[in-house]
Amino acid sequence: MRRAFSGIGATRGLALGRACIVQPQALDIAEERIEPGRVEAELERLHEALSEARRELIAVRERIRGAIALELGEFLDLHALLLEDPELLSGLDQLIRTGHYSADYALKLQRDRLAAVFDSIDDPYMRSRREDLDHVVGRVHAALHRGGDCVDAPGGLAGEVLVTDTIAPSELAQLTERGIVAIVTAQGSALSHSAILARSLHLPLVVGAHEALSHVNDGDAIMVDAGSGQVIVEPNAQDLRRFRQLQRENEREQRQLARLKRKATRTRDEVDIALYANAESRQDVSQALELGAAGIGLYRTEFLFLQRNELPTEEEQFFAYRDVVLGMGGRPVTIRTLDLGADKADSCGLALGAEPNPALGVRGIRLSLREHGLFRTQLRAILRASGYGPLRILLPMVSCREEVLAVRELLLECTRDLRDEGHEIAEQVELGAMIEVPAAALALAGMIRHVDFVSIGTNDLVQYLLAADRNNDQLGSIYSPLHPAVLRLLHEIFALGRRTRTPVLVCGEVAGDERYTRLLLALGLTRFSLHPGSLLQVRRVVRDADLHALRRQAPALLRAADRAGIERALQRLEAPE
Amino acid sequence: MLERQIVVGNRLGLHARAAARLVQTLARFQSAAVLARAGREVNAKSIMGVMLLAAPKGSTVTLRLSGVDEEEAMQAVLDLFESRFDEDA
Repeated sequence: MRRAFSGIGATRGLALGRACIVQPQALDIAEERIEPGRVEAELERLHEALSEARRELIAVRERIRGAIALELGEFLDLHALLLEDPELLSGLDQLIRTGHYSADYALKLQRDRLAAVFDSIDDPYMRSRREDLDHVVGRVHAALHRGGDCVDAPGGLAGEVLVTDTIAPSELAQLTERGIVAIVTAQGSALSHSAILARSLHLPLVVGAHEALSHVNDGDAIMVDAGSGQVIVEPNAQDLRRFRQLQRENEREQRQLARLKRKATRTRDEVDIALYANAESRQDVSQALELGAAGIGLYRTEFLFLQRNELPTEEEQFFAYRDVVLGMGGRPVTIRTLDLGADKADSCGLALGAEPNPALGVRGIRLSLREHGLFRTQLRAILRASGYGPLRILLPMVSCREEVLAVRELLLECTRDLRDEGHEIAEQVELGAMIEVPAAALALAGMIRHVDFVSIGTNDLVQYLLAADRNNDQLGSIYSPLHPAVLRLLHEIFALGRRTRTPVLVCGEVAGDERYTRLLLALGLTRFSLHPGSLLQVRRVVRDADLHALRRQAPALLRAADRAGIERALQRLEAPE
Repeated sequence: MLERQIVVGNRLGLHARAAARLVQTLARFQSAAVLARAGREVNAKSIMGVMLLAAPKGSTVTLRLSGVDEEEAMQAVLDLFESRFDEDA
């Protein structure tokens, strides 16, 4: 019987396969005692399970490679240590020997005891390590129940769709290698570590499908459309037809887009538009190059600082920046200096006070100018990398001219020092400001001659302009670039850039959203910086556009008094010329 | 039996990663090891114990080692703290 339900599509992709159910563990284990005579057997069962869990961890560790290995490695090492922990183990043995509890229950009791201690620690980072404890305990529970657990099926998992409660990143990597074609979880979020990993692995993932476990049985045929979050159990003929159709469309689209890889981003009326890539990893960089990006328009550096116990050294940063510059083979790379606030800074060793309002607090350039040592180190590392290829520096959250001037001073000092030390520093390292604070946007005319370029961070700019938190799903559609204030401000900035011959880029999400490409072109934008995954789609729209005709529509767009008016004007933009 | 007071010098103290390095180092030796701070004592070979001690930067911990290889073990631990757990590597 056909059943359908939905969740949140965390990645794109379609899959059709056999359902493999893995029930949630650990939390509902009933108290279970065993007969005194069975103590030794139970102890053996426990130790077997522990050994198996250890073996699994070693196997996962060996199989994962590349960027994932770097991220997961640390957690896996920690998990392995937890499994060898004398405190954990002696406690378990005690519970079985003298308490006569079953292995499962002893494990639960021990876990609860330790979790309580973790929870009592005043440190959020430590408290979050409790998840590691749960993952490890979950693994042992699973090993204890190996009999009914299909995750260990000898034939691997080819063609299976895993349906479970939640999925840990380490499990994801392992499952993909064993042939799983999609995962559906009852809990989870599209922003979790697992979701991010699933995207890199191109694995269809649907999360938050609360009814999943009650609608699906082991072995059912199951169809997953991760793009829409739709899941169909025991699909009928119509579903299957639609699936094949969607698949064909996807493939056709991929082929079409692939053809655009080496094509110029040139409008129908022969104007070249520059598409830069936003990047943060080696994969982003190589993808950018492969897709013919004009360069890196925004290289995020936060990852070097987060999830670490100490600040990254100058050497470490220098290697990372040099890597990107060399990786782009002569195309310009724009490195954005640390864009963190006090809320995240804690986790990388900066003891700053808690702020009531982090979004309006000491973040971005403000933090950097305050943490002199940190900033100098980053600037030095960037300047040293400039000897290897065209490099630009981008400053986040600039709100006034003084900040830019202070940085220029600092750059002069650092350059002098570095040259004295014998380093090769480029003659010209361009400095740009991210325009995301409304004050900077409105007073840009007074600041623009002190920068070599500007990059509009529309995500935060729209947030501050509309006083709407983009992560607050209670706001509905209030957070949207389709507001007269936004359009007018963008238009002004583009015009100012032209008048002063200062390059203006847009690097926020709207730049990568093909629904807004014509809008941005109409308002006067000629340089986009976007996620490589959207580059080909945007190029397609540009190649299909008549720039001068679009620009002639700008007055109509700017006259619109409200969102509805903008949308009407947008529809006219879409109409073929 | 050897006992030493050690100042925790790395930025975030004996956090998970540093704790793991300490435990991994001590695992190489036979000696029993106890780590103490502010009246609390934990088995220094237990990752849970060391993590839960949550010794922050600037705090002083006492390490007690007892066994045939206690001198080697102590030196290894001192080196580790000295190098701030190789976190710059």
